[in-house]
Amino acid sequence: MIAYLTNLAALAAIFGILAATLNVAVGYAGIFSVAHAVFFGLGAYAGAQIALVLVPDALVAMLVAGLVSGVLSLCLALPALRVRGEYFVAASLGLQMMATTLFSEWKTVTGGIGGLTGIPRPHIFGVEVGTLPLALAALGLILLATAALMRGAFGRTLRSIRDAESAAEALGKNVAAAKALAVAFACAGAGVAGALFALHMQFVNVESFNLDQSVLIMAMVIIGGTGTLLGPLVGAVILLSLPAGLAFLPFIPATEVGAVQQMVYGLAMTLLMIFRPAGLVGDLSRGKSTA
Amino acid sequence: MLFIQLLLQGLQVGAIYALTAAGFALIFGATRVFHFAHGSSFALAGYVFIFAMQAGWPWWLGGLAATLAATLFGIGVFWFVYRPIQRHEGSFFTVFVAAFGVGIVVQNLIGIFAGRGFASVDTSLSRAVEVLPDVFLAQVFWVAISVACLLFAALTLFLTRHNAGVALRALHQNPDLLRAYGLSSTRLSLLAFALGSALAAPAAMVTAMTSGMNEAIGHQVMLISMAATIVGGVGSLRGAALAGLMLGVAESVALNFVDTQWAEAVSFLVLFAFIIFRPSGIFGIAQAR
Repeated sequence: MIAYLTNLAALAAIFGILAATLNVAVGYAGIFSVAHAVFFGLGAYAGAQIALVLVPDALVAMLVAGLVSGVLSLCLALPALRVRGEYFVAASLGLQMMATTLFSEWKTVTGGIGGLTGIPRPHIFGVEVGTLPLALAALGLILLATAALMRGAFGRTLRSIRDAESAAEALGKNVAAAKALAVAFACAGAGVAGALFALHMQFVNVESFNLDQSVLIMAMVIIGGTGTLLGPLVGAVILLSLPAGLAFLPFIPATEVGAVQQMVYGLAMTLLMIFRPAGLVGDLSRGKSTA
Repeated sequence: MLFIQLLLQGLQVGAIYALTAAGFALIFGATRVFHFAHGSSFALAGYVFIFAMQAGWPWWLGGLAATLAATLFGIGVFWFVYRPIQRHEGSFFTVFVAAFGVGIVVQNLIGIFAGRGFASVDTSLSRAVEVLPDVFLAQVFWVAISVACLLFAALTLFLTRHNAGVALRALHQNPDLLRAYGLSSTRLSLLAFALGSALAAPAAMVTAMTSGMNEAIGHQVMLISMAATIVGGVGSLRGAALAGLMLGVAESVALNFVDTQWAEAVSFLVLFAFIIFRPSGIFGIAQAR
């Protein structure tokens, strides 16, 4: 039971990182990416390869994963600078579909559908550590960094871009740089989460990095509340405990639990958008302009 | 010969894509709603058709039921999901997320009630015969092509000749002016959703007769329709249909050069390139970013 709860807590922390970083792009910068799982995956494969080939040092794996995802976030920043709204969503969907194909076909690096197995347990300077404290520490650091960044001038610039891009540009803000930085921060965070995920599961394959996963992360942010610090965490915890909770309900046949769980979150997404677009934690009056 | 075979295959798939893309483009052009649940209309129509055929209904009755299912679903989603959101001035992303939720619910409902995995309709139409040396063609190819052409001709006539069609185009260009002239934009939006969703039904029936349906097909169809709409240029039905046809052919012909697994990625590569280099699409007017 303890092991089960520790596992759940570590996953919650990892998905908390994912949701919190996606929130920087969606909630603060107004960049509606449906490709967050791509960068989660890039980080996971990078971290896994580091641990498998070089050293099983968690810090090195996380650093490299963050760098890889951060640099490749240019793939997402490029369309973000060119187009807005529906077009950007479409572009990120395109990126997600291409990446899924790449992940399942580039077998030398990603192991294809079979994935990478036997990833060693994480160490720090040669001492073995659990993933839960690591994930919690990373989550805390990322939340702190987000809070600090968003309270400062950079955060104000981002929010002004989200609410009125032309006005921000007219006031001399470097819109392109701010957008690219926000995307890079969000994607690097997803990369770190990916490395943690690979070290925690000791196994990664493409199933964890497809469109469904991107939508799940998106749903966490939306259900929790965009543009708030705690909202994404709340969303992550709720959506992760959903399968565990549904498994205890006796009247659902075991084979349909997955489908019922998916339906519950699909329904939750739709109903929330109709009745409370700012999310559970979000402020209703402000939600109308942001969500 | 393989190339010709792939080209014909691509034309057949492309005709299906063109129909769904035109439906999506019609809805998006007229109402500015990014109807992400459009693929669900397609999936529902396909499964209704399969069930009707299995129950021994004549094909035209099954087709009618499928079209009705798609149309009602489109209208229902507009009325119960999009309209309430638009009333409190939700942004496009709110609509997108809600539609995505609807798509997930429909996909899993189909999974539970119709079973997962492929389902298809057996007809003599899909039996392939050799028309040229090493080139096989089933009659359903001609059905797909002619149905697509017929529907486009009808749609073009409707949009240019009929009052309601002209009003739909006006709704796309200037909704405020339309309201000032005393037309109901809600009623026209309903019409757009009904027509656009109905267009998905024949495409779904052809798919059910050829490659078969599975519960996740709505997703894939939706992504292709969206890609075609953007590549073709938003607001241009002709562009969306042409781009749909093109994507179908590109996907199929690409098999000549790369493995099957990469075929799907080809469409998205095209989409991605268009968004970066020519966001207004083939026929689109340059839009303010």
